[in-house]
Amino acid sequence: MTEDHSQGGPPVAQPPLAQAPQANFVSPKTVAIYGVLTALTAAITIITVIPFPPTKGYFNLGEAMVFFSALIFGWRAGAICGGVGSAIADVIIGYGYFAPITLTAKGVEGLVTGTIARLNGGKKWSSVLGIFCGGSCMVSIYFLAEVIILDTGIGYALSEMLTVNIPQVAIGGTLGFVLAHYVRKSIRLPK
Amino acid sequence: MIPKPGADRSKRMIEMDNVGFTYEAGVEALRSVSLKISSGEFLAIVGGNGSGKTTLAKLMNGLLRPSSGSIKISGAPAESQSIAELSKTVGYCFQNPDHQLFCTSVEDEVMFGPKNLGIGLEESRERMERALSLMGIFSLKTMSPFSLSLSERRRVTIASILAMTPQVMILDEPTTGLDADESSELMALIRKLNADGRTIILITHEMKLVAEHADRVIILSDGHILLDSDVRGAFSDLEILKASRLLPPPVTLLASRISSIGISRDLLTSDEFVFELSRRYGSR
Amino acid sequence: MKGVFDLYTARDTFLHRLDPRVKILAVLFLSLLGFIMTNLIPLFTLLCFIILLLYLTRSTFSKAYFALKFVLRLMVLITVLWPLFDQSGTPVLAALGPIKITEPAIWRGLTSAIRIGCLATVWYILMFTTTQRDLVRALVKMGLRYDFGLALAISLRFIPTFGFTIESIKDAQRARGLEFDKGSIIRRSKNYIAVLIPAVVYALRTAETLSLSLQSRAYGARKDRTYMREIRMRSSDLVSLVIVVLLFAIPAVAKFVFGAAI
Ligand SMILES: Nc1ncnc2c1ncn2[C@@H]1O[C@H](COP(=O)(O)OP(=O)(O)O)[C@@H](O)[C@H]1O
Ligand SMILES: [Mg+2]
Repeated sequence: MTEDHSQGGPPVAQPPLAQAPQANFVSPKTVAIYGVLTALTAAITIITVIPFPPTKGYFNLGEAMVFFSALIFGWRAGAICGGVGSAIADVIIGYGYFAPITLTAKGVEGLVTGTIARLNGGKKWSSVLGIFCGGSCMVSIYFLAEVIILDTGIGYALSEMLTVNIPQVAIGGTLGFVLAHYVRKSIRLPK
Repeated sequence: MIPKPGADRSKRMIEMDNVGFTYEAGVEALRSVSLKISSGEFLAIVGGNGSGKTTLAKLMNGLLRPSSGSIKISGAPAESQSIAELSKTVGYCFQNPDHQLFCTSVEDEVMFGPKNLGIGLEESRERMERALSLMGIFSLKTMSPFSLSLSERRRVTIASILAMTPQVMILDEPTTGLDADESSELMALIRKLNADGRTIILITHEMKLVAEHADRVIILSDGHILLDSDVRGAFSDLEILKASRLLPPPVTLLASRISSIGISRDLLTSDEFVFELSRRYGSR
Repeated sequence: MKGVFDLYTARDTFLHRLDPRVKILAVLFLSLLGFIMTNLIPLFTLLCFIILLLYLTRSTFSKAYFALKFVLRLMVLITVLWPLFDQSGTPVLAALGPIKITEPAIWRGLTSAIRIGCLATVWYILMFTTTQRDLVRALVKMGLRYDFGLALAISLRFIPTFGFTIESIKDAQRARGLEFDKGSIIRRSKNYIAVLIPAVVYALRTAETLSLSLQSRAYGARKDRTYMREIRMRSSDLVSLVIVVLLFAIPAVAKFVFGAAI
């Protein structure tokens, strides 16, 4: 398969560890948590598909994980895990053309939610406001991107916004809030 | 009060006729499985990894529906009943407790099932308290399930199924990850459930548990039933055990190895072994 | 929705052997090409070209079907909905009260649907022929920080695991009488709390174990880490890269410099 361009080179002499340039990587905990949250966001987006009978459409609960990551682990995790996880899910389930837009829309959603939720000492109302603002950003970015960039036409973009994105944000926001509240209360978090 | 399920041995709880099951991905997990399970039995289902034990259990309470053949639960065809309806008769306790615990307290966790079945708060509470007592964890009632040990969490999950008062309890590898003491304590509790009249289906690959507790054993291999017999009969057939990559308990192996000195070869527990030795050589 | 978490199929085609970086750039350039084209015929040609490449990946039918069925549904939706909201142009083919269906609107809808078809399917040339490991390695080679690449590799590795865990959790709750496909939307969504909580707890426990194992394997000990397998450009990779760039550059120059209608 890919053997041709992948032979290992000859072993290169390495400076001893003490003199080696130290890596300024993020901590292993951060790598692990970001990796896992991204995977969970993608998996939940793919699996929890709920039919929405009024329009015969479907929506998923991946949104809950974007909000959860942002509320518990901050704006950075919200932006990266929410954005990348949702984009990977798009590619896997056949919405690959959406992946860059999803990356932006959900990334901004996680970023805005995580930032606002920490305001005012992280009170409950900050979380609610954060979810509302983050969700609104996501819905508007999708709408604008569909109309302007993908040129799907106002009709498709409007029907998508009303039947999928807005219910998804409302329900995902509520679930994400409950989830974050619950996890804060009863689980010792790795941090 | 939980109505005590009567142990009327003549009553058929589960009847499978030529059942086959193929997963969506094309894996044929079960082939023409036929079996009858009566009320009050203590049945063990054994077999190597991937032999189809979990698939068989999921068919019994409707989590999976057979690709071919038919299943009757308590005499009524299973296909016309939802999982929720079936779970009133056949309770299935999952292998990994962490796949179901989600409430903030043990009591909520145990009341979750009864509430889903539409049972009133008062009765749900009664059932919960009784199930917790049966599993010996009444004192943990207000604790968070996530703060408990694995052994305790497993008891919580069994209690949460018990609270739905099923007549048949399927326990999928309930002793995985427990130490010897925790394991034998749990088995003692499960035996008590059986003595109260519940039908117990124990899925395991620990032959020692089977020898010590079950009346009957079904050996699965590669998706079909290799052997269905009483436990003593199963362990005397070392060839079949070998074929399904199962090892009988050491005591049975030992007895079989030294049977030439005149010891019975189908001994299942160390107590039986001691008894046999003292019978043969006289107790001193 | 189960089963297909990894779109890769092991084969030995030209596209499988191609340097993953070239494939990533190809997806990028062909997508850009889809964006700058505005006419039906060129777009349709592009779609045919992409489908030909997809055919050459020799993926399995089930994966191709899984990947393409959403795209088809979407293309149909756009074609049908477009004329309802685009009232401009003549001749008018049909009118119902304030809504009229015009012929140019139908063509515009079709064009847009085909463009979406291109943008959607081009991804699978990459996904069908590249392992996750090569994908991440290529991104790191192209400038992604190693630690973020590692996090990405971890997440790709765990998506199927978590998928199965979530299915198992759903089953465990079903066995306790919870019904996921009954009742109102609110009720159904609420039922998912019983799935999301164990899933999150499981994931966070996984993260803890993982972080320990990263530490014990000297993650981040030194910056100049070596790799077991290196990706190297071969001449055939370079030729392919040039072709891909030209495929984009020639129409782009024709359109923006010479004003050709494409
Ligand atoms: N969800 C699934 N999809 C596809 N195949 C499965 C699934 N679950 C189990 N299998 C396959 O079915 C067979 C039986 O599995 P299982 O019943 O879980 O065995 P056991 O519980 O005895 O270990 C195995 O070959 C397994 O790989
Ligand atoms: Mg199993």
